[in-house]
Amino acid sequence: MRREELTVLRSRVNVGLYIVAAALMFLVAGFWHFQIAQSSRFVELADKNRFKQIQIVAQRGRILDRENRVLVDNRPSYNVVYVREGARHSLEEIAAFVGPGLGMTYEEMKERVDKSKNEPKFRPIILKEDVDVKDIAFINARKLELRDEVFVDYQPRRKYLEGELAVHAIGYTGEITTEELKNKDPKVYRSGDQIGKVGLEQRYDSILRGKDGYRVVVVDNDQREVQQFGHEDPVGGNDLHTTLDLDLQRAAEAALGDQVGAAVALNPSTGDILVMASKPGFDPNLFATRISASAYQELQRDPRKVFRNRVIQDHYAPGSVFKIFMAAAGLEAGVLDPLDHVNCTGSVTIDGVTKACWKAGGHGTVGLYEAIVNSCNVFFYNVGKKLEITRIADFAKQMGLGSKTNIDLFGEDAGLIPTPDWKAHAYRTRSKAEQKWYGSETIDVSIGQGAVSVTILQAAWAMGGFASGGRLVQPHLVDPTSLDKDGFVVENPKPRNYPIRASTVDIVSKGMWGVVNEGGTGTRASVDGFDVAGKTGTAQVVGKKSYGKAEDSEDHAWFVGFAPYRNPEIVVAAFVEHGGHGGTAAAPVAHAIFDTYYRKKTGQFGSQASGPIAQVKP
Amino acid sequence: MPAPFEARNIGKDFDWALFAAALALALIGLTEIYSATMNLPSDVSFMKQAIFVGAGIALMFIVASVDYHSISEHIPWLYLGSLAVLIYTPLAARKIAGARSWIDLGPVSIQPSEMIKMVVIVAMARYLSDLHIKGYLTFNQILKAGVICGVPMGLILLQPDMGTALSYLPILGVGLLVRGLRPALIVSVILIVVLVVPVSAFLMSDYLKAHQKERLLTFIDPSRDPHGQGYQVQQSKIAIGSGGLLGKGIFKGSQNQLGFLPARHTDFIFSVVGEELGFVRGILGTLGLFAFVLFRSLHNAQTARDSLGLFIIMGVVGVYFFHMVVNVAMVIGFFPVVGIPLPFLSYGGSSILTAFIGLGLIINVRRRRYVN
Repeated sequence: MRREELTVLRSRVNVGLYIVAAALMFLVAGFWHFQIAQSSRFVELADKNRFKQIQIVAQRGRILDRENRVLVDNRPSYNVVYVREGARHSLEEIAAFVGPGLGMTYEEMKERVDKSKNEPKFRPIILKEDVDVKDIAFINARKLELRDEVFVDYQPRRKYLEGELAVHAIGYTGEITTEELKNKDPKVYRSGDQIGKVGLEQRYDSILRGKDGYRVVVVDNDQREVQQFGHEDPVGGNDLHTTLDLDLQRAAEAALGDQVGAAVALNPSTGDILVMASKPGFDPNLFATRISASAYQELQRDPRKVFRNRVIQDHYAPGSVFKIFMAAAGLEAGVLDPLDHVNCTGSVTIDGVTKACWKAGGHGTVGLYEAIVNSCNVFFYNVGKKLEITRIADFAKQMGLGSKTNIDLFGEDAGLIPTPDWKAHAYRTRSKAEQKWYGSETIDVSIGQGAVSVTILQAAWAMGGFASGGRLVQPHLVDPTSLDKDGFVVENPKPRNYPIRASTVDIVSKGMWGVVNEGGTGTRASVDGFDVAGKTGTAQVVGKKSYGKAEDSEDHAWFVGFAPYRNPEIVVAAFVEHGGHGGTAAAPVAHAIFDTYYRKKTGQFGSQASGPIAQVKP
Repeated sequence: MPAPFEARNIGKDFDWALFAAALALALIGLTEIYSATMNLPSDVSFMKQAIFVGAGIALMFIVASVDYHSISEHIPWLYLGSLAVLIYTPLAARKIAGARSWIDLGPVSIQPSEMIKMVVIVAMARYLSDLHIKGYLTFNQILKAGVICGVPMGLILLQPDMGTALSYLPILGVGLLVRGLRPALIVSVILIVVLVVPVSAFLMSDYLKAHQKERLLTFIDPSRDPHGQGYQVQQSKIAIGSGGLLGKGIFKGSQNQLGFLPARHTDFIFSVVGEELGFVRGILGTLGLFAFVLFRSLHNAQTARDSLGLFIIMGVVGVYFFHMVVNVAMVIGFFPVVGIPLPFLSYGGSSILTAFIGLGLIINVRRRRYVN
């Protein structure tokens, strides 16, 4: 009986053999799946576990003036950042833990995190930027609890040494927005990056920004660095050598003072822009840190439009400045003889419309020279009538008006030189009568009124081109050849030449010299020893009240001139919105620039460097 | 009657092959415990484990030398004493990982519930072999066997230590199956399990709120991973998967060395084996040794002199098998995370001592397979 019992039990044990074998095969199959079939996926996951890439922000290049004086530098700054990947706490918990210490609410933190929610989770999101020592101490004291979820991160920030000086030309940087990020190369631009927003900072962002470096480190389960695995050093951005002259810029802005206006100075033979001043400005340092919404709105709401670069972004009627181009056109077309004389009685009736000269009672008998010096309207009405609008427009365009100068800044306005075709197109929805070009409009255009409009840069540029004998060099704030030296390929178009007789340039320039030096309208621009030539302009403001001041109805004041009057080295355009007469409001601004330039040239000017002077590669 | 204690003849007919396989497993375990803890400067796990392996081998020889019949004769007292220890344990124990399962004994702490498994194995074997039946078990007999196993299990559940309690089930299950259950009963048990498990899972998922589920699961297994249940298993899968065919090399597993693997020298030691030694050396090697131990033991059961010896071996095999399958399936995510160590490999004195005591029992039976 025992024997039989054991036989039965043994046969049941036999079944156990099969069960064990089946189970082992099942397990081996499982390991086969993970270790052989899917192995590469898990190798990748293991690497992701252990490797962490730490970004090293590259220093942005400095911005220098033409004498290598530093206009824009960097300063060290620290942000409190949050990394979502591997976070062990919810944002609510983090907000409850560090929010009170940083003075932030959960909602504020959430807003910032939400803005970056579509980005890879390992990218740090800035919770609070440019924090002070107190915040750094607060976060670092909680390192243990926060691990690598919230920490203090280094980020150099922009320092605008000259404050609002040349702010519209230089621009400012700010944190890249989600919109901007969409259109950029994701390998170069990441969320949280500082990026040039306007001005040169924007235009030359790729040159200034450099290349971020990184360190790849092996981390353990607590995200502690165990060893460094690889690294690439950051490459600092290139310094930007602008053509601006700090001394001239200061002089221009001081002369403009609290007025709303602008000034530009350039070298017509090189295209170098020496001064680009637009007033009022703002302090770009506000943007180097995140500007508060209320502060930004206050700037936005300023009726004087502080963000506009009036040198290139706005166009104005050139007023009497346009007479210079009329004179040149008249002489070139042969409708105007240098010896012609016109009797100005104070008004003239052309095509049934009576137009007045600015001087009640008239200038009497005037030749071209007197007409320029005293800015006689009647004289140029006649020139305009003889030239007719098509030829005026053709000459003006040829001389550089009515189209972009292609300066190295974004957002340039083209200005407008009207023609009958333009009017027909612009008024295409109106009646035929409204689309027609009238002779009286030509008369308006001949003294720079009516539809004709130019930017302040165009006025200076076209004047420089004319004074240099019909040679237009594309203006720039950064010399393309200097960029070429740094290895950047930049388009450097050849100068554009248009035919103009030397005698024409000579005759008109002589008149402009008289404007400044022989008791003309621009006397206040004169500089002893420096042959300044120029032309004032007073552009009538038709629509009043562009902003709510009493003097709003005042005309815009222009002065455009160059020096010396033969082979000019510098062209200046000065403009004061609602400044009244060009000779009183704008000419002194031009004087400040010419004067400083001349004193520097003759060694009578002690150049002041407020900031450091950059060491520059030879 | 054979002499109860025959230390002098210990070498006679000793199952050296079985011992060698088990020792190899213990050495793999020691290596990987060293690897898993070498970066923790003050960690003494390796030294402790080495001492326990030594003590386990000593215990194995002692257990193997006392005739299992005399162990069986004294088993009622041992069994009652064990119950007393299990009652005493939660009262005296410190709370570790949510359970009061460990008793401090000087420098070491042991988990009585592990070692008492061996007492229950012999008790169960004695009861089942004394039945001397050829047919199927009656309901009464099944109930009695259930009580033998169920009482200590219940006491362990109260600690509460779900994993260890579960590891008592194979003693009952294997015992009953070998003793003989009506096929209809086996089929209906299987059917019930197949039906009840999905239905209760369905009820769990639909009728319980997340935190209620969490509470329930935490009650069942207090050592549950606080970072979320997926974390441990995910890291373990990464470790094993990235080990690939040949492994990353001993002491070179990044998941192990950088601390991404939780419980890597205890319950998850097998993922370290998988990561550092790979599929061929680590997995096939280790599972091959286990296969040898299990098949050899089953063979020893079949050649046992009497049914008592057969049931003792089958109890030990059942426990080994259960531990191995559950632990290995757990590290690759085929089974939920329960605190079940891998015999011979996982760090832990009680687990090692128990495994070697079991080995001693098997060798004991084998040595006495010839009626002398």
